[in-house]
Amino acid sequence: MTRVAVVGVGHSRFGRRADVNIGELAFESIKQAIDDAGVERRDIGNVVVGSAGGWYEESLPAVVVGEYAGLSGAGTMRVEAACASGSAAIKAAYNSILSGETEVAMAVGVEKMTEVDSPTSVELIGRAGSYTWEFENYGMTFPAYYALYAVAHMNQFGTTQEDLARVSVKAHRYGASNPLAHFQKEITLEKAMGSQMVAWPLKLYDACPLSDGSATVVLASEEAAKKLTDTPVWIRGVGYSSDTANLSRRGNYVGLRAAVEAAARAYSMAKVSPEDVDVATAHDCFTIAELMAYEDLGFCKKGEGAKMIREGETELGGRIPVNLDGGLKAKGHPIGATGVSMAVEITKQLRGEAGRRQAQIKKGLGLTHNIGGTGHYAYVTVYSRD
Amino acid sequence: MSEAPTLRSRRPLTLRFDIPISKTHEFWDSLRAGRFVTTKCSKCGNVSFPPQSDCSRCMGSEFHWVDLGQDATLVTYTQVLTVPASFSAEGSYTVAIAEFRGGVKALAWLEGVTAEDATPGMKLRVEARTRSDGSPYYVFVPV
Repeated sequence: MTRVAVVGVGHSRFGRRADVNIGELAFESIKQAIDDAGVERRDIGNVVVGSAGGWYEESLPAVVVGEYAGLSGAGTMRVEAACASGSAAIKAAYNSILSGETEVAMAVGVEKMTEVDSPTSVELIGRAGSYTWEFENYGMTFPAYYALYAVAHMNQFGTTQEDLARVSVKAHRYGASNPLAHFQKEITLEKAMGSQMVAWPLKLYDACPLSDGSATVVLASEEAAKKLTDTPVWIRGVGYSSDTANLSRRGNYVGLRAAVEAAARAYSMAKVSPEDVDVATAHDCFTIAELMAYEDLGFCKKGEGAKMIREGETELGGRIPVNLDGGLKAKGHPIGATGVSMAVEITKQLRGEAGRRQAQIKKGLGLTHNIGGTGHYAYVTVYSRD
Repeated sequence: MSEAPTLRSRRPLTLRFDIPISKTHEFWDSLRAGRFVTTKCSKCGNVSFPPQSDCSRCMGSEFHWVDLGQDATLVTYTQVLTVPASFSAEGSYTVAIAEFRGGVKALAWLEGVTAEDATPGMKLRVEARTRSDGSPYYVFVPV
């Protein structure tokens, strides 16, 4: 079986991008990724577009993006795994190479969330779960779903609102060094703690913003990768899982079962363990989600996520640096783009191209943890220099 | 940064869904009568909430209705302060997940206690409510 490598990456500026439509926004990262890979567009056999959609005018983003970037004629589809759509797109592109269908494939993650007003965006994300039983009568929101987890985690393990705020401060610290981030300013613990309550106990600074953005990776088979680049980053393990639509059907609210299962499968396929990971991105749509990710990924024991952030273990120079790109919190979270953006960040880290945010790479291993919805979908991917 | 020019769409889209409940309408009928019921698989005995006519455990399609009673225990909760567009008239509300005897859980509004004063393990009761248009729903209240 061939191996599959990331051979090209591209990333747009994230943020409120009223200056570009969906095609133009996707083009920004597609152009960079094609140039970075040094491929001809005609050699790309499959273009998979990750986008949740609904908040921008186009219903068929894959063909709109394909037409704009001159990729019409390639196999294409839009995939949806909520906020993990980007990782799902990578997996679909990866599979098309593994199956021998094509030597080169592309995964594009793109989202435009600010063409509708914020209450409408809040509405569309709130409907993601079980519409009939959890939205229709009760108006759940995305922060509210995660707040249910935060309250349970705080009650069971003594995690505090200040611990959550520390995650936000860390995100903004690295976001300030990422010129493509939605927010590029450091914040204080006091500012995070004093911010407006969104879904108690989660505040504005516990929540990622509504962002526009795109990210693209070009993937290639081993044979093609060796011709295209001297610095391939190999996909060593792909793990995925899912959980119930209704949150009321979950066994507990202190971790995401799907993430635990996805991580176990990714580690097993890559034949590595959590201690081998040099650098990671975790799906911090809310601060509590990052703390649960540390635990679900096995970076620490269950209930000790807060201890990791208090002791700086996930900072640059710490035991396992997490979200050195600013994470969803500061970099922004254009839903479908996020998983691909994570792959771009880990590729740059493993290539040693992350500049001021560069982690020390010892074993050559990076990991992305990308969650869709409230633990509805989970994708964990292990990347390697070797 | 000045705001870039945009073309504002002139074709608004309003979506109203007719959600089928032919197989589970007894839940809503019972709720109107003040009873909180759900489905139990006649083959494997699996109790489901939300109610469903096909069993997600054994895939059997024969079921009967069982009464879950009124008593529930608070598991987790939040107060929603930034609300979706379609709930803008509701102000803020508290939402809880509570567990019935036998382990079945449901999500609903929690009335009569703020999120800050609630505690996990608190004893609750499920109560039926009716909206001004006559549609039934249910809430949890402290005992």
